[in-house]
Amino acid sequence: MISFENVGMRYGMGNEILTDVSFALERRSFHFLVGPSGAGKTTLLKLLYLAHRPSRGLVNFFGKDLATLERDALPRIRRRIGVVFQDFRLFDHLTAFENVALPLRLQGAKKAQVADHVEELLSWVGLDDRMHARPATLSGGEKQRVAIARAIINKPDLLVADEPTGNVDAEMSKRLMHLFVALNKEGTTTVVATHDETLVRTVGAPVLRLDKGHIHLHPGGTPIDPGV
Amino acid sequence: MWGRTLQFLPTKSLREGLLPWVIGVMLFLCTLSLTGTIAIGKGLASWSAGLTSNFSVQIVEKEVREREQQTSDALRLLKATPGVASATVLAEAEILALLSPWLGEMPINSDLPIPTLIDVKLSEGATINSQALSERLRATAPGAQLDDHQAWMTQILDLANVVQLLLVGVMIMVVLSTVAIVIFGCRAGLATHRESIEIMHLMGAEDKLISKAFDARYLAHGLKGGLFGVLLAAGILWLLADLAIKMSQGLISAGLPEASNLLWLAILPLFAATLTMVTARITVRKALLEMM
Repeated sequence: MISFENVGMRYGMGNEILTDVSFALERRSFHFLVGPSGAGKTTLLKLLYLAHRPSRGLVNFFGKDLATLERDALPRIRRRIGVVFQDFRLFDHLTAFENVALPLRLQGAKKAQVADHVEELLSWVGLDDRMHARPATLSGGEKQRVAIARAIINKPDLLVADEPTGNVDAEMSKRLMHLFVALNKEGTTTVVATHDETLVRTVGAPVLRLDKGHIHLHPGGTPIDPGV
Repeated sequence: MWGRTLQFLPTKSLREGLLPWVIGVMLFLCTLSLTGTIAIGKGLASWSAGLTSNFSVQIVEKEVREREQQTSDALRLLKATPGVASATVLAEAEILALLSPWLGEMPINSDLPIPTLIDVKLSEGATINSQALSERLRATAPGAQLDDHQAWMTQILDLANVVQLLLVGVMIMVVLSTVAIVIFGCRAGLATHRESIEIMHLMGAEDKLISKAFDARYLAHGLKGGLFGVLLAAGILWLLADLAIKMSQGLISAGLPEASNLLWLAILPLFAATLTMVTARITVRKALLEMM
């Protein structure tokens, strides 16, 4: 569904952040992306959520070659990708409800449909009493849950999450991973960047390990948590 | 007309707060320049129309008898000229009143030889060949001098045209400055909201939808600023018109729009709003094209 072949990435005239990165994400696959700081995780995530084009190499999204893709065609592909940013990137002047509703409203969903979906999802992530709160009044964990809800509200084909459990307690972390796995089982290809090795072992999914711009694929192990 | 819009920008932004006021000041200047241009045009038209419909003939002759004879001959010729509605000899008292600013008060029977002045009025729409008439007058009355105000009117008209051109120049500069200010404001707005725009892009928003959020915003800025500028200018114009009427100054009062005619200014805020919105749209679209 998504493939990277000998992808290299550099900013301006700087050194290559990613070198000859090749991997494929099959439909319904679940991968963790790990690696030390400065290994190029953020850059790879940016390529995965189409914030940048690579400096070289072939990238294919949903059967379309990114190199030949017109700029006008990008929004349609981006709508199939859900992104959870590490720093949440919520709209401060919008409520939790309005933030989560944005992707649906972008797709032109009806008001009643938007209300039903958003309320249901926010209740599910435990924010039913914080729906009309603005991000400034939410805790770090609450913001993270709003960001996750916004990323998955339109059931994306690809979910890219950057440290999605970094600001939540163990119980909420487990619930969110349950949600990711459930979405994955319904067909959402998922990539979760994390530093949390326990989380990786708990889910037991394959791991893309970045080291100094190079990528290595490690097969998944047996999940520690059978529920997940 | 508007299609689907999605307002994702905060309703207030400190960096754009002054924009409507700046647009307002620009519109104020623009309105005054435009009104000035129209006023001068209208004033000159009515003024020169008044002047070209009449002229004067002086009979300059020292000898009183000879002067009277020439005056009578000139009057006869003038009255027989096609297009002349009336030819009237001004009384000596009237001539002295006209000369008093230069010569001071003088008794009517002073020794100073005063030329005879004939005021000639043309029929409506009539024109005369002043050079031919002047030659015929001189043949009949050698002391006759025809003055159709042409020499000094040309100078005044030239001056008025220069002033008009200057005002048009000011207007163009004001419009261009407004465009530049909106571009700067828009770029500042884009910089302020860059992260929001990027998130919208990543969620799959098209450039068109993003720029529409700016369209609505800048349309409101333009309308607000335009109304402020035009209302201020309308107030000042109304005061000037009122003052001019009280002063009975033909040139000024003829050109200034009357209070009841100031309604045409209502179109200017719409112009400002459209100009601001279109400028913002082009700026935002260009900036968005630089993003992936």
